[in-house]
Amino acid sequence: MPVPSPQISENAARSDAPSALRADLREMFHELAAYRELMFSLVRRDLLLRYKQTVMGFGWSVLMPVTYMVIFSLIFTRVVNLKTEVPYPIYVYAGLLPWNFFASTLRFAVGALTSNSTLITKVYFPREILPFSTILVALVDFLVGFSVLALMMLYYKVPLTWFALLLPVVIAVQIMFTAGVTLLLSMGNLYYRDVKYMVEILITLWMFATSVVYPVDRVGGALAVVLKLNPMTPIIDAYRSILLHGRIPDLPSFGTAAAVSVVLLLVSWVLFHRAEFEFAERI
Amino acid sequence: MKDGLVQFEGVWKKYRRGERHDSLRDLIPSMARALLRKRVAGEALQGQEFWALQDLDFTVEPGEALGIIGPNGAGKSTILKILTRLIRPTRGRSLVRGRIGSLIEIGGSLHPDLTGRENVYLQGSIMGMPRAEVTRKFDEIVEFAGLSDFIDTPVKRFSSGMNARLGFSVAAHLETDVLIIDEVLAVGDSAFQRKAFDRMQTMVQRGIPAVTVSHQLERIASLCTRAILLVQGQVAHAGSTTDCIEMYARYQADPGEAPVAGAQAVQLDSIALASADSTASGERIEFEIVGSSPLERTGARGVVGVRVRSLETGSIIYACGTETHDLEIPPGRFGLRVGLEMNVPPGLYAIESSVWQGGHERDSRNGPTTLIRVSGGPSFTGTVQMNSSILVRSRA
Repeated sequence: MPVPSPQISENAARSDAPSALRADLREMFHELAAYRELMFSLVRRDLLLRYKQTVMGFGWSVLMPVTYMVIFSLIFTRVVNLKTEVPYPIYVYAGLLPWNFFASTLRFAVGALTSNSTLITKVYFPREILPFSTILVALVDFLVGFSVLALMMLYYKVPLTWFALLLPVVIAVQIMFTAGVTLLLSMGNLYYRDVKYMVEILITLWMFATSVVYPVDRVGGALAVVLKLNPMTPIIDAYRSILLHGRIPDLPSFGTAAAVSVVLLLVSWVLFHRAEFEFAERI
Repeated sequence: MKDGLVQFEGVWKKYRRGERHDSLRDLIPSMARALLRKRVAGEALQGQEFWALQDLDFTVEPGEALGIIGPNGAGKSTILKILTRLIRPTRGRSLVRGRIGSLIEIGGSLHPDLTGRENVYLQGSIMGMPRAEVTRKFDEIVEFAGLSDFIDTPVKRFSSGMNARLGFSVAAHLETDVLIIDEVLAVGDSAFQRKAFDRMQTMVQRGIPAVTVSHQLERIASLCTRAILLVQGQVAHAGSTTDCIEMYARYQADPGEAPVAGAQAVQLDSIALASADSTASGERIEFEIVGSSPLERTGARGVVGVRVRSLETGSIIYACGTETHDLEIPPGRFGLRVGLEMNVPPGLYAIESSVWQGGHERDSRNGPTTLIRVSGGPSFTGTVQMNSSILVRSRA
């Protein structure tokens, strides 16, 4: 292996002049690339631990959305009869699967910094690696969960169309949105441990404000305006469009959600980057 | 690989005492305060704040090893944290050229449920070692830690010593341009400590610039080419390792200003070895203490004492004085020629002088100190030479 040419690392007092956004962005991407091996090691560690510590291993990643699918199917077919374009069980599973990816990332990521305080106070690395690695761990569960969706599509005879090829695009948008939220929450929890408790409430509220178990566009009145602002709904609907309905996602709403995700990720990442130098002192 | 460099340029670091607000409950009052009060421009000290480091400058070039010594809370670890970019200086900057290898105590970051092997890879990547490099050095690392038989056992079954050894071994195999050592010299049993120390010494001898923080002055003395004595965030002395250690030994014996017992007190001016500043174990050394005592005799004349301190353990291993020899200090200038038989194992020792005015410990003042290195001699271990004799006989 060639010895990398010595690079100079500077650690200087923060100047009063605001640092250039361009320089920040360059540094963020450069550092993430330089420390990607560490990020993958942390992902590997978490996956390995789950496999070792639990008997069911990745079975758990399927069990959770399947349980919810059964519960909501009972409610919305036996108690209330909800009309959906595809049979309700597959409708709700296709919503629960990506939602679970989002929600479980938030749950783990909120403590991503605080639970790794030994690392943060002893070793230098870009701290965003910690919340980012929780996304990658949850992504593995998410992908495993698709196996059940595939079986259900076979059972309910839902044909797969070419639009399914858009899946990576939808996943990418969801990851960007999740990453943006995750950076803010993990950083917030480092300063104020209250955030961890707020996240639980936030997740529950957010789920019913998203088209996970029922289409929120059936909600009318003033609440409908608020619900329209939620980028998670077009993202989850996009999964149903391309996988179950065999059509392109609703472009205006999905396009907006994608744009919001990109902006949110960049803004929160820059904020995170500008604050992370003092994490070791504040944790 | 001889181009590593460490540079500190006018570094200041501010800390604050007491607790910061940590829950949202405190956020609102503090935000209100921030709005009402004008932000004080960065650098002035406010309320609970204090300077942990003040105007620190140093450069460590290839071939040099800098030792930082000083009492607890002097700011030693803060220096290392700034070097490794864990915290940012309040003023000034630090520059490090090349890859930094930190030999810090990170045994705590090993994961108990992962095996030794998995932890080696994890630690490697935490310290910035590419996976391929870990694979290449894997056997060497495990061999060094002496854990070949346990490498596929979960770390939770390891003893704490094994844990620390594994963590150290990974760090010690990092290909590095700059070495940072934080009090890890106390890892594992004495055999491993020896091995770890030798490893660090080899790295320093290869020309890798190093910065070391330790309370084990003996180790600092043999590892470092020069030193800084840090007291309350300020450089009390910078220069040769032995000078700094000498000053530190004196500081430890007598922090703060010594109580001056008036004009009648005995003053000690100097202490000087009559011969070279190193000797062999079991040899006799002589040194001279020069001082003065008041001409008119009023009350107790005072006693001059001599203490020998082991710099490895920091404890006093021998003490004597004019009173234990039934001697009186003459009025005016005087010299005391003291002889000691160094029946001690090889190492670095401080010879400290002191004056006792009354009968109490609190009435004592410390005089000058000198260092003596004891090397070689008849082989033994322990703290004192007992001139053992062993006779071997066959018994049918």
